[in-house]
Amino acid sequence: MMARDAVARVLDVVPHPLPYFTLVLEAPAIYAEVAAGQFVMLETTGGLEPYLRRAFSVADVSNEADGVRIELLAKIVGRGTRAMSRLAPGERRALLGPLGRGFTLPAAGPVALVAGGVGSAPLLLLARRLAERGVAFDFFYGGRGAVDLARRDDFARLAEQAGGRLVAATEDGALGFHGRVTEALAAELDAGCAYRSTYSCGPMPMLAALARLSAARSLAGEAALETEMGCGFGACLGCAVPHIEGRFALCCKEGPVFRLDEVRW
Amino acid sequence: MTAAPDLAVRLGPLALPNPILTASGCFGYGLEFAELADLERLGGIVTKGLSLVPLAGNPPPRVGETRGGMLNSIGLQNIGVERFLADVLPGLGRFPARVIVNLFGYEFDDYARLAERVDPHAGIAAVELNVSCPNVKKGGIEFGHDPELLERLVASVRRATGKPIAVKLSPNSGAPVALAEAAKAGGADILSAINTVLGMAIDPWTRRPRLATNRGGLSGPAIKPIAVRIVFDVARKVGLPVIGVGGVETVDDVVEFLLAGASAVQVGTALFRDPRAAERLVDALAARLVEIGVARAADLVGAVRPWGEATT
Repeated sequence: MMARDAVARVLDVVPHPLPYFTLVLEAPAIYAEVAAGQFVMLETTGGLEPYLRRAFSVADVSNEADGVRIELLAKIVGRGTRAMSRLAPGERRALLGPLGRGFTLPAAGPVALVAGGVGSAPLLLLARRLAERGVAFDFFYGGRGAVDLARRDDFARLAEQAGGRLVAATEDGALGFHGRVTEALAAELDAGCAYRSTYSCGPMPMLAALARLSAARSLAGEAALETEMGCGFGACLGCAVPHIEGRFALCCKEGPVFRLDEVRW
Repeated sequence: MTAAPDLAVRLGPLALPNPILTASGCFGYGLEFAELADLERLGGIVTKGLSLVPLAGNPPPRVGETRGGMLNSIGLQNIGVERFLADVLPGLGRFPARVIVNLFGYEFDDYARLAERVDPHAGIAAVELNVSCPNVKKGGIEFGHDPELLERLVASVRRATGKPIAVKLSPNSGAPVALAEAAKAGGADILSAINTVLGMAIDPWTRRPRLATNRGGLSGPAIKPIAVRIVFDVARKVGLPVIGVGGVETVDDVVEFLLAGASAVQVGTALFRDPRAAERLVDALAARLVEIGVARAADLVGAVRPWGEATT
């Protein structure tokens, strides 16, 4: 599928609460075919700071009578995301996508989806695709506190629809498992849960921990990586990911989804 | 009715259909943009810097944004000249845009060897020598900061190719005119000014520099005044055609560089935020020429009216 640069109309901004929010955009028809894990480059301000567009996973997509809608789940971390959270319905922003390589959909479950904070974004669309196909999954969702598990009800509903459940993990212990999400996954594996593979997205230390855990238990998995990114389409070479082959892979072209065992963590 | 303005420009031996090119390192090898932009309308494409052997580049993080700009330390990751000639150049042949290959060497002799290698290829309109990359420990910038060495380097390339030679000047040397004179003495046909400006940014929370190499090259609108000044100085004092590079994004920027003395411009970082930034400028420049009643883009070259000198 060829990426397209378009101007998208803002339909809504939904707080979950802040700093997490979902931006709903009217998108070109090609997004109906977007793969979970693919991303867009979105113009946030059009001004000098930030100067570049920002990369966001497509968190959800729906076909409405009046066109295709996409959802971007984001967290306010700087000027770009703050400006984005303040967009009003009807405003227009340049939108390039869909970009990159998404997750490989499993033929059968059960699988584990593992999200750290706003890394849950690409896994929402993956959860929807799995639920549509009847592939069972448990959704492991971790963060510092309960607020970091944005839209957890949506994840729980999709997991239950597919015959699985949501496993929440918070570092402050306010919700679910008290500890890191990778520790919650390890505990479930120790308790006898068997997964065919994992699908993950989150901070690099979390993904590195997941890669170690998976290697020790011969558990296959794919992760959507987040890196500094200039252009999103392979021109700037800024989004280097150390590859096990001793080279740098481009997150925007080879990724953002990589097998856990092909990244040099 | 006004006749369509003439956008064609000539840089010594290099004729371009219009003065809008893409800057090295900002347009990949060209084909990355084929889906997203209209390559046919560009005056030319300058490729990512090519070396004799493929380079892996620097570890991440390689890019970091700053206000109105971007720091990078890619480290010249590239597929190498052989793969470019075999796999990329034939694909670029579909487009009429002039292809200028940017060449980078670690050793003195690398530049002439690269020039020899690309010389037989009719699809290549000119070479641009990267002697000013701030992101590699060895090579490149050493040649770009020493006038005597630069003159000999350009002369060695001159002997290796009959194609027009552009030399990309560093803003970090403090003496761009002396280096431009040296490039001219060595046989350069064109000067590209400027490469990125050495800079640094630090995350105030993590206390980490934003680039894994700590320092890197700053590009984008933030560096435009530096580029305009160097173009102005070099164009007036050296007498070679100049390509202006550094923060070009709007038609005002294009006109500003032409007035300063550039015969063409390269669009760089702006392409990352808008893949069509360069082709939009082709139309915008034509519209501007009509608006100001100038028949030819070339008529604006060096037409600045500097203070302290006769202005009429």
